Amino acid sequence: MERLEVMKKELYRCIHCKACKFTYSGDPSREGVGEYKGVLYEGMVPSCPSGLEYGWESFWNAGRMWIARCIMEGDLEFSENVRDTIMQCITCGMCEVQCENKVPTVDIIESLRAACYFSGVPLIEKHELVSKLVVERNNPYGGDKDKRFEWVKENGLEEYLDKKGAKIAYYVGCTASYRQINIAVATCKIFKRLGIDFALVTKEVCCGSPFFRIGRTDISQDLMNTNLELFKKYEMVLFSCAGCYRTFTVDYPKWIKKELPFKTNHAFELISDMVKDGKIKFKENPELKGKVVTYHDPCHTGRHFYIDTQRKIIDESKNLIFDLRKLNKWKEEWFEKPRIIIRALPGVKFNEMYRIHENSFCCGAGGGVRAGYPDFSLKTSSLRLDEAEAVGADFMLTECPFCWRNLDDANTMYNHGIPVYGILELIDKYDLIAD
Amino acid sequence: MSYKKPDNKDLEAMIGIVGKNYATANDAICASYLSKSVMGLESQIPDIVIRPKYPEEIRKILVYCSQEKIPVSPISGGLSGGFACPLIRPGGVVLDLSRMDRIIEIDTENRIAIIEPGVTLGQLWAYMHKHTPEYCPPIPDGAPPSSTVMGDAIDRGFSLVTSSMGPQGDIFMAAEVVIPRGDILYTGSWALPTAKPFYKYGIGPDLWSTLMGSQGTMGVITKVAIKIFPHPEHKTVVVWGMSNPQDMQNLTWQIGNQEFGIAHHCVMVQGGNYPLVMTRWPKEKVPHDYEFYKEIGFSRWWMNFEVWAQTQEELEYTEKRIDEFAKKFMESKECKDPKAIIKQELHPKQIASRLKKPNKIAIPYGYWEAGFLFITWYTPWKDCAEFAEMYNKVLEDHGIAPVMWIASIERCRQAICMPIICFDSTKQEDFEKVQEINRITTEYSIKRGWLNYRPDPYIHAPMMYSQAGTYLKYLREVKKMFDPNFIMHPGRLMLP
Repeated sequence: MERLEVMKKELYRCIHCKACKFTYSGDPSREGVGEYKGVLYEGMVPSCPSGLEYGWESFWNAGRMWIARCIMEGDLEFSENVRDTIMQCITCGMCEVQCENKVPTVDIIESLRAACYFSGVPLIEKHELVSKLVVERNNPYGGDKDKRFEWVKENGLEEYLDKKGAKIAYYVGCTASYRQINIAVATCKIFKRLGIDFALVTKEVCCGSPFFRIGRTDISQDLMNTNLELFKKYEMVLFSCAGCYRTFTVDYPKWIKKELPFKTNHAFELISDMVKDGKIKFKENPELKGKVVTYHDPCHTGRHFYIDTQRKIIDESKNLIFDLRKLNKWKEEWFEKPRIIIRALPGVKFNEMYRIHENSFCCGAGGGVRAGYPDFSLKTSSLRLDEAEAVGADFMLTECPFCWRNLDDANTMYNHGIPVYGILELIDKYDLIAD
Repeated sequence: MSYKKPDNKDLEAMIGIVGKNYATANDAICASYLSKSVMGLESQIPDIVIRPKYPEEIRKILVYCSQEKIPVSPISGGLSGGFACPLIRPGGVVLDLSRMDRIIEIDTENRIAIIEPGVTLGQLWAYMHKHTPEYCPPIPDGAPPSSTVMGDAIDRGFSLVTSSMGPQGDIFMAAEVVIPRGDILYTGSWALPTAKPFYKYGIGPDLWSTLMGSQGTMGVITKVAIKIFPHPEHKTVVVWGMSNPQDMQNLTWQIGNQEFGIAHHCVMVQGGNYPLVMTRWPKEKVPHDYEFYKEIGFSRWWMNFEVWAQTQEELEYTEKRIDEFAKKFMESKECKDPKAIIKQELHPKQIASRLKKPNKIAIPYGYWEAGFLFITWYTPWKDCAEFAEMYNKVLEDHGIAPVMWIASIERCRQAICMPIICFDSTKQEDFEKVQEINRITTEYSIKRGWLNYRPDPYIHAPMMYSQAGTYLKYLREVKKMFDPNFIMHPGRLMLP
């Protein structure tokens, strides 16, 4: 409850106006792509996956904020009912960017979940299981901790294992180590091709993201401390997972209350800057010629960085009327980064979906929802793929193995026919870097 | 009046009507319907929430609840200020009408839209922007996009064409209303089954007016026909600044009083004072001194004239005439501070931003501290400056920023005056302070004959209705006719 108490004034800014029910809530006449499968992609579009799925007020953000307020005022006690309502939030943060009163909805939900757990309400069974697994095996998938880097040998990348003298580390994360190995391999191969001197840190443990999200902040802090100790000797840590990147860059400093001892960067940022500087050129692949690609902004690298930057500007500002304008410039540059790479791919047509950038619709995997509520999670992912269909996409690109997994599963389950690739994975698979 | 607290048997009955997915007594879900902000500080967690889809379901629910004496309060998904007019004591059943969200028909020939109560401003705007861009719905300027079109109208709010076309209550043409007696009533010309909704007073005498402003105390409106308006291409915003509310009031009256021509082209005429800008930001993160706002182009008071016209020529003519009126007013004896009458030149981006509808301009006042309340009054236009001065003094006496917004209704026949009380809702003493401000200002306003726009149940309604005994007596008889067991939104409007 302490963290919730700290945010009390911010929580009480919620006036239950429910503007957060809409994507593009400040852009009513935005031109879109018309109607597709019964959804009008024009102007404001409903925003919250759980609100859309369940309908009750408690499943939209504003209702959850008022649940938090009821808890703080003693009008409601933590219970399994409360847990089941707040746990089905994907913590995508769409509501937060719509809020004119800047209510930090994601932080509030995470704090509420932690307070719920520490009040004695047990986690749901699946969250209990992943918590147990991460404590025993350093990853929530239950993979053998000694086999975290087994993919390295199969792909001839052993030289990077704890490479001596490297000043850059690549934090692979659990999803790319145990599930989307394709992402880890493609990332390493591209780093290798570009001559980046990096190390794979064999003792890395889960970043703690799922446990920050579901309220097991005790577990996540232990994991955080282990990682910080392991990576402190590097100047820079690179990521291919949006969730891990967000956790290191946004969560860790918040919990340790100081800056990280190293810089962090997602692989797409690095590649994007090199493309922009002319250091990487791409070549055409006949298999991709004329294909339409679209890009899904992962919440953790897109919107959550936007929110974090906004928070920093607000914290530092003495006159917000002027200073908040800085956010727009930052936003344009930030969301353009992955797009710089995509636009540079010859022969490929890039069609944007309707909901993009900080208004991007979530893939449905985050906040513990994929583990806890897989049907709802995949249904949300399918809604995102509908949006890709609406713009005629042949492929969907993203930069997060967790989004990748969920989108790909929904693609199969709901027969969308839109294969999903990481941007770097596509580059590697189709050998797009020009010599 | 005593009511039954619904129990499991009642919940089962509700589930029998709407199905298990749409009725619940889950305490977390029920708690999420609470709201203590924007339009009222009193709110009660419901015992049961139901999400009906069809009028027949509502009819069965009302008949059952009436028999059992269980209170029922409908919410359409948000009234003009968002999630307003929530459930109050003694609790009971909330009917969440958000599933009734069909846009049934847009009839441009008769300039009518037929919609269900859960249709939001954002939804209808997007739909018409796509399918009938030459027409627009009469949505309010400033209400959150999740407010409902019906909610705003039934509460007699205002719209983006209010200054020209009158209060939002006037946009209603016909309604389908489920009443607790178990009937489905059609008002306006819909009373005749073969008629289109083309005449609001119907076959007469008009029953609809007894439902207008009723805050859900008479029945549940399940379908409405509302007017839509042409959405011309030529638009702009003309702003004149001044130093005091009298000059704002009197200059604006000069234009509204023309009644025809330019007065009609000024579809939305709204203004206020510089704290309207200041309090949209956190208290500790913006300058409080007026000099800063002066430097960035704000007068102490100003009035926006939003002009819509069919041709560029009409638009330019209207702007020119507004400017002429301002200059003439400046030279008149009526003007208190001629030097401060200044035209504010707007950047095209500022004009575009002000023309954007629906917008979120009324939301960020929670950012100043942590919460706010709109307490809105109707006055004759020529009283609005007095209202503003009185209210702002009371606010300042209580250490609250004097934030005042005023708009013209029907070409300055009435003013809608809305002080925005920005306070810290984490502090109990601030709640008490707001209630004291409310009591002092209500007492003054009622003596002056001003009317509360959406009377709250504990201060406005008792003070106002105590001055209108005969009216209240007959209103209660009307209530009894629709709702013999007084189950609808009990406690509101002094209708038990």
